[in-house]
Amino acid sequence: MKIKKLTLVEHLQPVPTSVVGISALALIAALGVVSLIFAAYGIHPLKGYQTLFKGAFGSWYALSETLTRTIPLLIVGSGLTLAFQASTWNIGAEGQILLGACAATWVALFSGLPPTLIIPAMFLLGFLAGGMWALLPGYFKAKFSVNETIVTLMLNYVASNIVLYLIHGPWKGKSARGFAYTDMFPKEAWLSTISGTRIPILTLVLGFLIALACYIILRYTTFGFRLRVSGQNPQTAKLVGIKQEMVTLWVMFLSGGLSGVAGAGEVSGIHHLLRHPSHISLGYGYTAIIVAWLARANPLAVPLSAFLFGALMSGGDALKVSLGIPFQMVHVFNGLIIFFLIAGERFMRYGLKLTKNGEVGM
Amino acid sequence: MYSKKLVSLCLVLILGFAILGVASAQEKIKAAFIYVGPIGDYGWSYAHEQARQIVDEAYPWLETIYVENVPEGEVEGVIDRVINQEKVDVVVTTSFGFMDGTLNAALRYPDRIFFHCSGFKRAPNMATYMADFHQIYYLNGIMAGALTKSNKIGYVATFPIPELKRHINAFTLGARRVNPDAKVFVRWLQSAWYDPTGAKEAAESLIAEGVDVLAFTEDSPTVVQVAQEHGLPSFGHYSPMLNFAKESVVSGQLVHWEAIYFDFFAKIYAGYYNNKNLENVDYWWLLREKAVELGADFGVPVNPVFEERLKNFVVNDPMYGEVNALELVELLEKAMSDPEYVFSPFNGPIYDRKGNLRVREGERLSLEELLTIEWAVEGVEGSWPGEPE
Repeated sequence: MKIKKLTLVEHLQPVPTSVVGISALALIAALGVVSLIFAAYGIHPLKGYQTLFKGAFGSWYALSETLTRTIPLLIVGSGLTLAFQASTWNIGAEGQILLGACAATWVALFSGLPPTLIIPAMFLLGFLAGGMWALLPGYFKAKFSVNETIVTLMLNYVASNIVLYLIHGPWKGKSARGFAYTDMFPKEAWLSTISGTRIPILTLVLGFLIALACYIILRYTTFGFRLRVSGQNPQTAKLVGIKQEMVTLWVMFLSGGLSGVAGAGEVSGIHHLLRHPSHISLGYGYTAIIVAWLARANPLAVPLSAFLFGALMSGGDALKVSLGIPFQMVHVFNGLIIFFLIAGERFMRYGLKLTKNGEVGM
Repeated sequence: MYSKKLVSLCLVLILGFAILGVASAQEKIKAAFIYVGPIGDYGWSYAHEQARQIVDEAYPWLETIYVENVPEGEVEGVIDRVINQEKVDVVVTTSFGFMDGTLNAALRYPDRIFFHCSGFKRAPNMATYMADFHQIYYLNGIMAGALTKSNKIGYVATFPIPELKRHINAFTLGARRVNPDAKVFVRWLQSAWYDPTGAKEAAESLIAEGVDVLAFTEDSPTVVQVAQEHGLPSFGHYSPMLNFAKESVVSGQLVHWEAIYFDFFAKIYAGYYNNKNLENVDYWWLLREKAVELGADFGVPVNPVFEERLKNFVVNDPMYGEVNALELVELLEKAMSDPEYVFSPFNGPIYDRKGNLRVREGERLSLEELLTIEWAVEGVEGSWPGEPE
């Protein structure tokens, strides 16, 4: 009766329908566990979900907060799909966001550029700074096969300390009364928002364009083809003469650069100054990893998964405000979701055999 | 007991207003408290949360909610939520980094009242407040100066901002009042307000360098615990820390945010404060207003374990003549609690450690100067980011 399971070995690629089915089941299972946590706090799970849902979508205001948080997740998550498709594990988006934010801050406060050029320059330099920061581990991987997961992760702490150094040292604002902030950016460096909300128009549009661009790169360019081949089968890539070192460098640069763009977007759209690193990014760099993972590294699915996690963050705020649930809960949600997704990996492949019989999933 | 006294005082105040017919007959007030840290940090946010619970319980007409761990860039969004979803009338924000977000919200909701802690920007519907420890640190410094044998005192500090510089300076001035050879060795963590790991490392390294008394500014009881392990005296910060290290905590700095909240909410309830007259309302409350307290625990100004040693330390004080350290602390506490502010730790003459005369004889630092202080007094050792020439 267990013989069917043996066929699992033959199927390395999960079928799309089972991926969607299993992902949905994983989400539902995670929410199921969350309801136990609600109950432990003496809150009726339905009331908990209702608050979460209303806090994320219940009004135009709630939706706008969800979108505000979706934007950086969308931009960073799209970039990460490139890296993940190439099996390059860039875990350093958080640091790349911060470097982008630093570069943009420099443009806004110290470059002396004419007002019309400031915002384009902020994003361009943000992109370059994030990209260069990611090239560092990229170079070590390409040249010496150094594990990029560890290096990118560690560089996050370095980036965080660079921001701390800047805001405590040379960039400490004159108007900050000794507190660790830069001065406020001039108005030319502020992104305009959809009126009545905190949603920066530019980065919202940019987010969707970037997701689309990443999809086109992956599907319709020779670079995208090389990238996918080196990601899925390094042996084949070697045999057909793909320079995998170049692929690594490029995906690191692009994914890091897009994280940098997100960082520039946060300082010019939300904060209008450089402040403590943990308040600049709110962990977007880490959450975006889950976003890209849930999208199965497909850029076209990233808007959806980014929106889902944006909603979780924004709904989590509502839980804090209305039910007095500790803030760590949102991290628990994220953890549970990724836990069940990873647990579901196996079933996605196992489900392959069953799809032949017309059944989906388990 | 203390808070009950205050409550009755405030109730009398309200009654007074009501009788005078000033009260604008507001039924109920709902307020939201927004904290930058987790309420379990045993420091800043914890102290505000304690005060919120006290006023909430004391005033039957006041309903409060709180939101913890709000990132600074998100405060406007959270204010929108508490106003639109929870329908609060008053928003209290308790981090300097919330200042601009709170001000923006104040402009967008002119019919609500905002109360911001530690900032300097105000609006017709936004007041500011702060309870400051510099007097308490001065008294702690006197005890530290009396207790040190190596004349090396350690200070674990988080961020080099004027608030901490003011406190370390006051602490050092206190120590050197009774022990001119005492030096205060400062270690900056520059990581986070809550950083037990960093605080432990810093405290251990200071002890390795020979300090034998510890004080600190960080939101966990780590430093007093490290001091206890090494059998050294220490001073608690922000919350009562006696129970974490009964043999080590000499005294410390305690806050009564509720003193300010009692006053502020009572005046709103009475209609004395409204959304049009807060432009110049700035609380800077000290010992005199009982917003801060000297103590290892509430009601325990000095840990009895150390009383003997402090009594045996006799000095010839310029103001009080021959006194022991314990008497001196009591006398100065009384002087600083005086309504006329007869004594300030920053009475001149004071030189900075580079030899510049910073406060002339017969003068004292103004509030503005206290808020923006960057220099270090003589006796402070170690790096001092942002030190002027």
